[in-house]
Amino acid sequence: MAEIVDRLVIRILLAGFVCLMIYLYRYAHVVFYPSVKRQVLKKIRPAENAPDTLHLCSRIVGIAIIFSSVTFNETSGLMLSLFHFSVWGTIAIVLYLLSLYIIESIVFYNFEYTDEILKRKNMSYAMISFCHALVIAYLTRTVMIESENSLIILLVLWLYMLVIVGFSVKYYTFISKLSFNRLLIQKNLSLCFSYGGFIIGAGFVIASCFDQEHYELTLYCIQVLLKTILALIIFPIFKKGLFKIFPMKIGEEKGSEGQIDNDMQSLGYGFFEGCVFIAGAILTTMIVNRIQFGTIYPFF
Amino acid sequence: MYKFFLYCMLVIFYLGLAKTLSPSEVGVQYLQNEKGFSKLIKGDTVTAILIDTHATGFLIKTYYQKYRVLTGFDVVEELIVRTSKEFAKRNLGHIGLSIYRKVSDKEEFVPVPPGSIYLNKREFGDWKLNKKGEIKWRFNKSLKNFPRYLGWGKFRPDQKFYQEMKNNISLNKAYFGTNNEFGPDGFVTRENFPQFFKGERKKKVDVKTMMIEYLKNNF
Repeated sequence: MAEIVDRLVIRILLAGFVCLMIYLYRYAHVVFYPSVKRQVLKKIRPAENAPDTLHLCSRIVGIAIIFSSVTFNETSGLMLSLFHFSVWGTIAIVLYLLSLYIIESIVFYNFEYTDEILKRKNMSYAMISFCHALVIAYLTRTVMIESENSLIILLVLWLYMLVIVGFSVKYYTFISKLSFNRLLIQKNLSLCFSYGGFIIGAGFVIASCFDQEHYELTLYCIQVLLKTILALIIFPIFKKGLFKIFPMKIGEEKGSEGQIDNDMQSLGYGFFEGCVFIAGAILTTMIVNRIQFGTIYPFF
Repeated sequence: MYKFFLYCMLVIFYLGLAKTLSPSEVGVQYLQNEKGFSKLIKGDTVTAILIDTHATGFLIKTYYQKYRVLTGFDVVEELIVRTSKEFAKRNLGHIGLSIYRKVSDKEEFVPVPPGSIYLNKREFGDWKLNKKGEIKWRFNKSLKNFPRYLGWGKFRPDQKFYQEMKNNISLNKAYFGTNNEFGPDGFVTRENFPQFFKGERKKKVDVKTMMIEYLKNNF
């Protein structure tokens, strides 16, 4: 019984310690987003600005996802495992916020957080930011797991992951009919669902490319690169296929171009495109990762 | 059209990159035909025995061959190569035979039973009378493992075998032994290089058997 109680106490202590790390995250967040100092360091008022709340909450969810990759090894002692968690937790926070900062600088190069969230209360911007936060967190978690407690490997893989994500966000303009910048200015929700589906799908694909056994870093990076390019080849097949299998009608037969534009900006179109992107990406991961060809000379 | 062009470029880029960087492409050498052996196998007094051949792939086949290579007096190694369809098909009937030999920089490509380069050479062995009163080739004691390496088993060549083999080489004609002991239909090859003749590799299954086996294994 004593042992069970002891383990429960340790779990409670560790939960408290994780909360402490999240508390530290508040201050780290302010370093990267100085304009949100008021929002983060004081009490949050959800009713006042919903997009702002969503923006902040997405980061909290993200940091929770990343922390879930760090393990406690109680056999090496409580203090050491706490120290390990604090070191890797801090690294995770820094990498996560840096990644978000870089990716959002690429995607929202025409937009400012202060203008879109604080002044214009742009929900579309907040939703896209939410998806970014989740995807980046999931990918950071993946590279942290793959790095197996090696800081050098973590830095290499993290940079590599950032490059791939950076290129993949640019891919959206090739595969979607929606105009990102124009619709984001218009606070169009169709865009956020479509882009959200795309970036979540891209996250699945990239994470699956990183999720493989590795013995040597260079070979591993080559495999990841090859898988990513393969995914780029396979994904359009599923996208085209899904659009053919479930054909959609945009605008009336004799409708004007304006009607078509209106239909494309509707929520339904955003849902449809977003769902096709997610489904296509999941199926792509299956084709890229789940086919076993065996060895090159199976009978030898 | 622009997107299609980009897609094609991406496919080409992928194929090029995969060919250059993929670990599966590194390590297995390519043998176009018998002329390529000299680049792959170095040394003098060399014999390469084809012991297995296999094709992988669904629409586009890749052909592999496995050789047992004997170099000099004691080096035995196995060599797996990718090869051309033409060469692989041509040698399908030459399993268990020596496809390539090199002695004193002279190369031979006529498929003959393994060990032909050692016969009638005093530094390797001699013709000796056995208990049954037959004159057979026997390797020197220091090379007692050679019959095993060459896949002879209990078979030992006699002088008739040697003469027939020499004639066939001069006629540029494949030789399978006095009583066809070697090659895919030869009992010596079947006994000593059994990999190629394993039942499951030749077995053709009908759909019904396949389905029953699938259901048994999976449910």
